[in-house]
Amino acid sequence: MKKIIISTLAVSALLLTTSCNNDFDTDVKDIQVTKGDADFSKYISLGNSLTSGYRDGALYSSGQNESYPSMIAAQMQLAGGGAFKQPLIPNDVGGFIGLPGFPGKLTLQVAANGSLGPVPSSPAAALDNVTAGGPYQNMGVPGAKSFHLVAPGYGSGAGLATGTANPYFVRFATSATTSVLADAMAQKATFFSLWIGNNDVLSYATNGGTNSQTVGGVTTYTTATVQNGNVNPQTYKSNDISDPNLVAGSIKAVLDGLKSVGTTKGVIANIPYVTSIPFFTTVPYNPLTPTTLGANLATLNASLYGPLKQALTAFGAGDRINLLSSTSSNPVLIKDVALTDLSAQLTAALTPSLGAPTAAAFGQIFGQARQATSEDYILLTTSSLIGTTAPGVPSPVNVYGISYPLQNQHVLTKTETAYVKTAVDAYNSSIKSLADSYGLAFVDANSKMIELNGKSGISYDGVKYTAKFVTGGAFSLDGVHLTGRGYAVVANEFIKTINMKYRSTLPQVDPNKYSGVKFP
Amino acid sequence: MKKILVSTALLAGVLSYAGGFRVSLQGVKQLAMAHTSAHAEDASVAFFNPAGMSFIPSKLSIVAGGFGASNKVTFQNLNTLQSTETDNPLGTPLYAAVAYRPIENLSVGFSFTTPFGSTIQWPSDWEGKEMVQKLELKSFYFQPMVSVKLAPWVSFGASYIYAKGKVDWDKAVTQFGGELNIKDEKASGSGYGFGFYFRPDPKLDISIAYRSPIDMKAKNGTATFKFPSAAIYPLLGLDPSTGQDKFTATLPLVEEYTIGLTYKVTPKWLVSADFNYHGWERYSKLTLDFANAPVGNQPDPTILVAPKNFRNSKTVRLGTQYAFTDMIFGRLGAYYDESPYTDDNFIPETPSFNTYVITGGFGFKLKQFGVDVAGGYAIPQARDVRNAALGFNGQAKAKAFYFGLGLSYNPF
Repeated sequence: MKKIIISTLAVSALLLTTSCNNDFDTDVKDIQVTKGDADFSKYISLGNSLTSGYRDGALYSSGQNESYPSMIAAQMQLAGGGAFKQPLIPNDVGGFIGLPGFPGKLTLQVAANGSLGPVPSSPAAALDNVTAGGPYQNMGVPGAKSFHLVAPGYGSGAGLATGTANPYFVRFATSATTSVLADAMAQKATFFSLWIGNNDVLSYATNGGTNSQTVGGVTTYTTATVQNGNVNPQTYKSNDISDPNLVAGSIKAVLDGLKSVGTTKGVIANIPYVTSIPFFTTVPYNPLTPTTLGANLATLNASLYGPLKQALTAFGAGDRINLLSSTSSNPVLIKDVALTDLSAQLTAALTPSLGAPTAAAFGQIFGQARQATSEDYILLTTSSLIGTTAPGVPSPVNVYGISYPLQNQHVLTKTETAYVKTAVDAYNSSIKSLADSYGLAFVDANSKMIELNGKSGISYDGVKYTAKFVTGGAFSLDGVHLTGRGYAVVANEFIKTINMKYRSTLPQVDPNKYSGVKFP
Repeated sequence: MKKILVSTALLAGVLSYAGGFRVSLQGVKQLAMAHTSAHAEDASVAFFNPAGMSFIPSKLSIVAGGFGASNKVTFQNLNTLQSTETDNPLGTPLYAAVAYRPIENLSVGFSFTTPFGSTIQWPSDWEGKEMVQKLELKSFYFQPMVSVKLAPWVSFGASYIYAKGKVDWDKAVTQFGGELNIKDEKASGSGYGFGFYFRPDPKLDISIAYRSPIDMKAKNGTATFKFPSAAIYPLLGLDPSTGQDKFTATLPLVEEYTIGLTYKVTPKWLVSADFNYHGWERYSKLTLDFANAPVGNQPDPTILVAPKNFRNSKTVRLGTQYAFTDMIFGRLGAYYDESPYTDDNFIPETPSFNTYVITGGFGFKLKQFGVDVAGGYAIPQARDVRNAALGFNGQAKAKAFYFGLGLSYNPF
């Protein structure tokens, strides 16, 4: 017994002295941040709104201060990085007075009915010019498409009226004839980041696949073109999907230009599927509950859905419309320009019961109408439209989404969604191969966005980020651009790939330290 | 909105891991010998095994004591190079017990302990503030008990446990730039314990004891949200003026199995060993049910379920006592306490480590009075933190020590 006890004691003592590992192998306080094979002394960032720090529907100073390149630059400064200057907007509201289409930032406000919603502010100042304070290392230009980076005159004040210039670039362009790339080359940077191509499909998607034209206060919408085999952007309308060859060529031109001045090390990111952002995923395709429809449900079925279904069935298109359900949520009515136009047939079929003029109106309104499905995306901006009265349409077929189809510009249909995805896949394939052939670090922004949009989102120190509108924390109030926290998640993806490619040890940022959606 | 409380962790762990890691402080003599259980010298055996009361030499025995428990936890994030230390105040667990043998084969007793009572305090602006800023716990165990001597060499004892507790938890709700306090000062629950105590030979004591699980029920907790503007309160179903909501939760405390033995190698020298088995698997999750606030993560948005994924754990203890004289005793011990969760489940509100502890102390006996002092030095093993559910990654280490002073009185 005694022996057993003594040997047990001895073994315990041995265990205690040999297996104790009560300290860190490496204390973070002793870690030196290193630049590896890269030189961060002059870092420039090229891109669009995402790079500029745009959010809440505007570019404003506190948002710019939380742009992802500015976060990356701050970490680079721990490893010999230089100053990183941004063309800051002189106020914290944004927008440009006197320039239509540039309101100030959205803010979250409690409406009279107690619900929360984003409300745009008035623009805070007229377009300023900050060229004298340059050169700027953050060259992100909101609204820029891939080919805009290489377009001379994109910063010409005179070009604003004709639509060939961009006010954000006008602010800091070094001349009326320069391009973003030319100004970037002039800086002879040692390191760059490039994230471009989103807008080559995004404006198509956010406009429901339409272009618009306003003449005399009346706006008309036409179907936008999916460009393929046409690499001349001067022939494009503003919301056309850019030809993948044009996007790849533009990005290559940027990389070649930078390379020609010795800027060969950098990082490039691919394009997220635009349909993973709250702008498309917030409004359900079937928001019409039996409660919201109330007594109208039966009337609609008897006088509109029923006759339409009957007529459409006769033309072999009965699947376009089903009777409204009194037990589950119903989809909205939409116009899908990809459908065969049955206006004439409907008119003919309905004339005996409705009379010629009404039947003609019905035929015109419902010739390409169908109920939305889960594969269609109702735009965030359409949400306030559903259930309101369509102007100039006779009652009772004038209630948007219920008795009057949401129009082409209100919905990104299944067909249009497929065009967007095809284009993004083509862009991303080019971006990846360019990254490889130019030896650049590559950020798979698409994967990260899919992760964010997944059921479990991304958790960081107990804070959960998802792509859910307002409450997800990652997206700002415009439903397209990120919050400071969302940009920090992006910055970390850039930092990780830079470290991997260039053997640097830049620390990541803490997303929770940046601002999210500001609640009232 | 729904997700703001997702990180809310488990009160259950709080109640059992107060102060950061498992602290065994229910008897000063016992602590000095690695907190081993087979010691029937005085009423302090009551908490460990009610059956031990039958072998206390005196008919009446009274004990009381208190401890200081100091600990510090350090967390470092290798991605961002941030390092954070806790600033925990000294924990002060107390105990008191009385055992009385009115007739030869029957003993009755009462034990009061504060087995879990401590505070973990992280800097309020640290990186994990969404999970915890400060967590304070107090708990009180009231145990009446009885023991029957079945034969000169064996007794059976049983106790009823009434537990009362307080939890006070501050955490940030960064999405709103605000904070949340979860508080219940009236959580309570009940359980039982029983055990057998054997003395088959004058040299050998064997203690086998079981303490049941206890469901600590917080029936009327208060959740207080503090946001920069009160405009949100009504939208969350909170009281518009105070930002408060009620919640209920059941906080399970787990059962513990203990087998201990003490062998008197010589009349002056004894050696003790213990094995504890803790049924932590009950802590698979914690459910907080709010009255109105839709801050949960379930189909019913007022219910929040946080995963815990604890596992059963073990403790092994080895202690010894040597009587220098009839009046002076020296004690030493060491034990190994296993963390009840893996690196993947590490949570900062109840940081836990595989821990080695070295203990020691002295006892002085003056006629019927005993005075004991004890100390313990813990060597928690640094560990990797890889909690994917919380996105909490890095490394954690800790330091801790305990000291205690106990009095005993055995009049007849």
